[in-house]
Amino acid sequence: MTKTQAVVIGGGATGAGILRDLAMRGVKAVLIERRDLANGTSSRFHGLLHSGGRYAVKDPESAAECVAENAVLRRIARQCVEDTEGLFVRLPEDDAAFETEWLAACRALGLPAAPLPPAEALRLEPGLTPRLAAAYRVPDAAIDGFRLCWQNVASAVRHGGELRTYTEVVAIERAGGRVAGVVVRDAVSGATSTIACDLVINAAGSWVGEVAALAGAAVDVEPDRGTLIAFNHRFAGRVVNRLRPPADGDIFVPHGSVVIFGTTSAAADNPDDTAPRGEEVNALLRLGEPLFPDLPRYRILRAFAGTRPLYTGGHGAAGRAASRTFAVLDHSREGVHGLISVVGGKLTTYRLMAEKTVDLACGKLGIAVPCRTAAEPLAAGPAPGLLAAARKYFPAGGAELAAARLGDAFGAVVGRLGDDPANAALICECERVTLGEIKEVAACATTHGLGDIRRRTRLGMGTCQGAYCGFRGVAAVCAAGLADKPAAGLLGDFLEERWAGVRPVLWGTQLREQELLRGIYGASLNIDGAMNDEQL
Amino acid sequence: MNKNCCDIDACTACSTCAALCPVAAAVREFPGPKLAGPAAERFRRAGARDDAALAYCTNCKTCEITCPSGVPVAAINMRARAEHQKKHGRKLRDWLLAHGEHMAKLALPAQPLADLGMDNPVTRQVLKAIGIAAGRPLPKYARRSFLRQFGKLRQQPCADKIVFFPGCFTNYNAPEVGLDLVAVLQANGHEVVVPKGLNCCGLPLVTGGYLEEAEAAAKRNIAVLAPYAAAGVPILAACPSCGLMLKQDYRELFAADGAAEVAAKTYDAMEFLLELRDAGRLNTAFKPGKARYLYHAPCHLRAQGIGRPTLELIGALPGVTVADLDAGCCGIAGSYGFKDDRYEISMAIGQELFARIKAEQADAVLTDCGTCRLQIAHGTGAKALHPVSVLRKAYEPAYKL
Amino acid sequence: MNNYDVIVVGAGLSGLIAAAAATAAGAKVMLAAKGAGTLTIGSGTIDLLGYDNAGRPVAAPAAALAALPADHPYGKLGLPAVQAAADFFLALCAAAGYPYCGTLAANRWLPTAAGTLKPACLVPATMDLAGTEDAAHVVVLAFAGLRDYRPEMVIEGLSRRPGFRGKHFSTAVVDAGFGPGRDATALDLARWLDSDAGRRECAEQLKKRLPPGCLVLLPPVLGTRPDYQAWRDLEAATGCRLVELAGIPPAVTGFRLRALFLAHLRRQGVAIHEQAPVTGAVVANGRCLAVVTGQPDRRREYRAGAFVIATGGFLGGGFESAPGAACESIFGLPLDVPADQLAWSEPRLLAARPQPFARFGLETDQDLRPIGADGRAALANVHFAGPNLAGYDYSCEKSGNGVALVSGYHAGTAAGEGRA
Repeated sequence: MTKTQAVVIGGGATGAGILRDLAMRGVKAVLIERRDLANGTSSRFHGLLHSGGRYAVKDPESAAECVAENAVLRRIARQCVEDTEGLFVRLPEDDAAFETEWLAACRALGLPAAPLPPAEALRLEPGLTPRLAAAYRVPDAAIDGFRLCWQNVASAVRHGGELRTYTEVVAIERAGGRVAGVVVRDAVSGATSTIACDLVINAAGSWVGEVAALAGAAVDVEPDRGTLIAFNHRFAGRVVNRLRPPADGDIFVPHGSVVIFGTTSAAADNPDDTAPRGEEVNALLRLGEPLFPDLPRYRILRAFAGTRPLYTGGHGAAGRAASRTFAVLDHSREGVHGLISVVGGKLTTYRLMAEKTVDLACGKLGIAVPCRTAAEPLAAGPAPGLLAAARKYFPAGGAELAAARLGDAFGAVVGRLGDDPANAALICECERVTLGEIKEVAACATTHGLGDIRRRTRLGMGTCQGAYCGFRGVAAVCAAGLADKPAAGLLGDFLEERWAGVRPVLWGTQLREQELLRGIYGASLNIDGAMNDEQL
Repeated sequence: MNKNCCDIDACTACSTCAALCPVAAAVREFPGPKLAGPAAERFRRAGARDDAALAYCTNCKTCEITCPSGVPVAAINMRARAEHQKKHGRKLRDWLLAHGEHMAKLALPAQPLADLGMDNPVTRQVLKAIGIAAGRPLPKYARRSFLRQFGKLRQQPCADKIVFFPGCFTNYNAPEVGLDLVAVLQANGHEVVVPKGLNCCGLPLVTGGYLEEAEAAAKRNIAVLAPYAAAGVPILAACPSCGLMLKQDYRELFAADGAAEVAAKTYDAMEFLLELRDAGRLNTAFKPGKARYLYHAPCHLRAQGIGRPTLELIGALPGVTVADLDAGCCGIAGSYGFKDDRYEISMAIGQELFARIKAEQADAVLTDCGTCRLQIAHGTGAKALHPVSVLRKAYEPAYKL
Repeated sequence: MNNYDVIVVGAGLSGLIAAAAATAAGAKVMLAAKGAGTLTIGSGTIDLLGYDNAGRPVAAPAAALAALPADHPYGKLGLPAVQAAADFFLALCAAAGYPYCGTLAANRWLPTAAGTLKPACLVPATMDLAGTEDAAHVVVLAFAGLRDYRPEMVIEGLSRRPGFRGKHFSTAVVDAGFGPGRDATALDLARWLDSDAGRRECAEQLKKRLPPGCLVLLPPVLGTRPDYQAWRDLEAATGCRLVELAGIPPAVTGFRLRALFLAHLRRQGVAIHEQAPVTGAVVANGRCLAVVTGQPDRRREYRAGAFVIATGGFLGGGFESAPGAACESIFGLPLDVPADQLAWSEPRLLAARPQPFARFGLETDQDLRPIGADGRAALANVHFAGPNLAGYDYSCEKSGNGVALVSGYHAGTAAGEGRA
C-alpha cells in the first residue's frame, strides 16, 4: 500500500491543475485517471479560451472569471494558447437590442470589445457572410486541452506530484466518517491496490457524481452533451461568435490546421454518452451556414461530442440556462470528511477552480502556503537556440508546431533527431509528426496505445485520419520495441477510435477518404481478416 | 487574384501526385507536390511561412494530371512560392528568366548583336556569373521575329478567321513554327489574324513568382482576345504552355473578366486541326512521304485534357508513322533547366525520355513545345520539330506561301 | 477525334481491362481518365474472393462464388464469365512478358508489410510464396530510410501465422545511399533497381547479408517496369527466393500492372485522354449519345456507340454523396441510401461483415447496364463496372480487383461487340 496526502481523481484540466497547485504548495498528491489525460471533456470541447464575451449578458459571474483567467492563461500557458483573437458578429436577422445590451455588459466587465466595420471584418475573414450587420473584436483565443493537461502534469511532476493514468478508482475507503484511501485498479494489468490518503479530491468532471457515490456522497451534476464538428482546413483565422444570446452552433474556433465548430446542448443519458448523432451534425451545419455561407462545401474531418458537467446544485436550471460558474463542495456537511468535489465551470477557468479547491484542501491539511499557479508558467518554452536547431530537422513550420505541442519534451525530441537522421522521418504527413516524436511519447510509461500518442502529437488528426500515419505509427512503435500488443490489434484500436468520429459525417470527400483507408487496411493489408483470424 | 482557386478540401492525401512527380523523383530536397502543396497549405493558413522547398517545383502540372480528385496542386504551389519569394527576395537571374520578353525586345533590334547569339564566350561569362547553367545551350534569337515576318505575308483572304497567339518562343526564337502554322491554316481555308497588343502569356512570370505582373499580362491579353472570342473566332496557340495559360491558369489564378470566354475559344493548334478533320474539313491533299517520327507529349499539352492530336494527325499522313514515346516530363520546364542550380535536376528528369529516343531509329522527334524541343536536342542530339512543320511539308509545294 | 465505337470512362483496373476487352472485340476505343487510377493505390493482385459475407476465410474462391447472394456482381455474371475474364487477363500479362501466377481455384496468401497474410488468386510472380515452404530461415529486408516497411512489424505478425510458425526470422538492411532529403518510398527504391548500377549495388549488399537458401521478404521494390528483370537478376545473384510484400501506397506492383496496360492500350491505338473528367452525358431515347467532359477550358462532347463507366464508385469519384443522399456522377442515376447517416455504416470499421455504404451502387442487368424502376435496362448502351456496381464490399471480401477485372472485361466486351 502506498501513502500520500491527497488523491486527485480525474485527469482533465481541473484535476491536472489541482495536482499542480497541490504540488506547488508542497502537498504530496497523486492524480488518478481511468484512461489517458484529457480523455474526457477537456479534449471534447471547442478549444476556446473565452474572453468572457459569450457569458457577458446572461452569466456575468462566469464572464468575470473568464476575463481574469483569460489573461492568466495567456501568461502561464503560452504554448497551449494560440492568440487568434475573436470576433462577435451580428447578422441582420439577429436582435440589434441584444448588441446594445451586450456592449454594456462588456463595458461593465472591463472586457474590450472594439467595433469593426463590416468591410474590415470581411477583409480579415473573407469566408464570413457579406450580409453581416456588425462585428466586434474581443480577446478570445484558441487553447489546446491536451497540451494544457500534459503541461500542468509535467509541471506538477517537477514539483513532486505523481500521475497514474489507466488507473480506475473502484472504491473509496472510509474509517470513522473520514476518507482513508482509495482502491484502484490498473486498467492494463487488472491488478488492484490501495492508496492511503488524508484527502480525496473529486475532479471527475461529468463523472463527479459517480465518484462521489463511491464514498456515499452525492453531487447534483447533469451531464449535458455538446456535439462539435472538426473541419479539414482553417477557413477562419479568428474565433467567430455569433452575437446573439448563446445558442447552438454559434462558435467557430480555428485550431492549428483545422476549425472546430459547435456546439449543441442536450441532456446526456450518462457522462459517457459522447457519440454524436447524425441529426445533431445536420442541425449544426444548418445553424452555421448563415455566418459562413460556404460551410456546406467545406470538408468535415469528424464529429465528436463531450459532456459538460453542469452543476444544478439546488437551483435547478439545466442546459444553456445553467450557470457556467463552478462550485467547490466540502462533503463534510454530509458526514463524509476528507472528500472535496469540484463541479461546473469551464476549461477557461480550470486554474481558478483548482486554486479554490486547493485553498479548501490546504485549510483542511493545515497548510498555509499561498497559491502560485497564476504566476509561474507551466513550461519554460524552447530556448531560441533549440528552435533554430530544430528547424534543420522539421519540415516547413514543423519546428514551431512540435515545440508548442511537446512542451518540455521538445528538447529530448530535437536531441533524438540530431542523434539519428532516421528519426526525422515524417510519420504523419498531414499534421507533420516525426518518428522522433512518436518514439519519445511511445517510451513514456503513461503511453499504452496509438491513441495516447495521438493525443500528445496530433498523429492521425489531419486530413487522412490515419490512412497512412496509423500504419506508419504502429510500424514505428513495433520497430522501437514499444508495442504492448500485436500490431494488427494496435492498428485496429486506433482506426476504430477514428472511425467513431467519421461515421456521422460519412459523405463527400470524407467518404472517399474512408474508402481509400479501407483500400489500404482492408484490401491491401487485410487487418480485419487478421484480427478475426487471431480470434479464431 | 481568384480567392477561390486553392481549394484543398478535395485532397485525400492519397499521395499519387508525390509518387508520380518527376521533380520529386529526381531531387530528394523536394518533398513532393502533396506535402509542399495541399498539406502545407493547411498550415500556411495558420501562419506557417517557410516554403523554400517550393523553389524546386517546375510547374509541369503532372500532379494535376495524376490527381484523382481534381486538386489544383500546381496553382496552390505557384501561389505559395510567389508569397515566399515576395518575402525572401529573388535573384537577378530569376528576374531575367521571368522577363524573357523584355530581354528579347532589347536584343532583337540590336541585330546582328543578337545574331551573334548568346553562346559566345563573353556572354556566357556574364550569364555564368548570374547563375545560368554553363552546360545549357541557349536558344538563338531569330534574325527576324515571327511578327515582323508575318506582317509581310500576303495571305489568301478567307471567310474563316482564326486568331493566332504566337507567344514569345515562336515569335523570337522559332518564327518558322508560326509561319508553318499560317501555311497549314491557309491550306485549310483559314485566314490568320495576329491582333496588336498581345504580350507574353505570363507563364514565366507565374513560375518566377511575379503573380501581380502575370495577372497584368493576362488582363492585357484577355482585353485583346475577348472581342474575338465574343465574335466566335477561334484562338490558336502553337505552344502548349501559352495555350494552357489561356485555357486554365487565367481562370484559375486570376479573377479576370473575360477569361472564361477566351478559354472557351482557345485551341491548341493541333487540337484545332484535328477538329477540322473530325468535321470533315481538313484538306487531306498530302504529298506521300516516307518518314518515321517519335512523338513526345509535353506536360502542358497533357494537362489540357485533349489527348494527343499529333498522333492521329501525323499518323494519318501517307507513308508516315509516328510512335508515342510516353516517357513523361522532358525536364526543362521553360526556364527551369537554364538555372545553374537546376540544370542537373532538369537533365535527370529527362533521362527516361532521352533513353527511349536514343533506343529508336527515327527521322525526327515531334513535340509541340519549344523548350521541350531544346531539351530533346540537347539531351539526345536528335532533330526536334513542331508537328505543324511536318504537316506544312506534307502540303508542299501546293500551298507554299 | 471525338467519335468512337466505345468510350471507357476511368483508368483504374476495370477501365483499363474494359478498354483492352473492347479493343480485342475490334472496337475503336477512347479512354477518358481523371487522375492516375487506383492501381497506384492497390497492389495489383487479383483478389477474387478472400472472405465470405460471414467473415470466414475462403480457400477455394471459384467454388465459393456460388454461395454469394444473387445480387453480387459475380452472381450476376456467373462463373464462366469470371473464368473468361481471368483467362483474358492472364494471356495479356503473359504476352507482355510479365506473366501472373495462380488460378481461380485456390487462394494464395500473400505476406504483407503489416505482418498479415492477404488472400488473392492471381498474383505477380514476385509476390508468390509457392515453393518457399521449405525455407527454414526467413530474412525480412529493410531499406535505409524507408518508413513504410519495418521488418519488426512483419516478423511480429508473420511468426504467429500458418506457414511461418517455427521458422527462423532475421532482418537485414540495404542502403541505397539516398542521403538526406524527403522520406524514401518503395517507388524510389524501385526506380533505383530499374538501373543496372542500382541492381549491381543491391546484389553486392545482399550477397554479404543473406544466408544461403533463405527466403527473403522485401518491400515491393523490384523495379517499376512490368518485366521481372530486377527480380530475376537479384534472385540469380543471391541464389535466394525473393518475395515482395503488399504494403501501403505508392503500390509499386500496381504501378507495374498499370504500365503494362497503358503500353498495351497505346499499342492497340486506344486514344487515352488524360485530365478529361467526364461530368455528364447526352442521352436520348434510353441511349447515351455522348459523354461530356469538363476540361479546364470548356466542356466537350465525345460520341460513341457504347460506353463503359468505370469511375470507381465512392473512391474513384463515380458517386457523389451528401448527407442522406447519393447518386451516380455522370448520369445522375440515384442510389438507394438511408436518410440517417449512421445507417450508412457499421459501428465498427473492421467489422468483418460488409459495410452498408460499400454495397451501395447501381443495380444492373446481366450486361451490366443500369436498370430502371421497371427492371429493364435504363440505358441500352451504357455498361457499368467495378465499384459502381451494387452488392459487394471490396474491402471486407477482398474482391476489389476481382470484381473490377470481371466486370470490366464483361462491360468492355459487351460494349465492343454491341457497338452501333
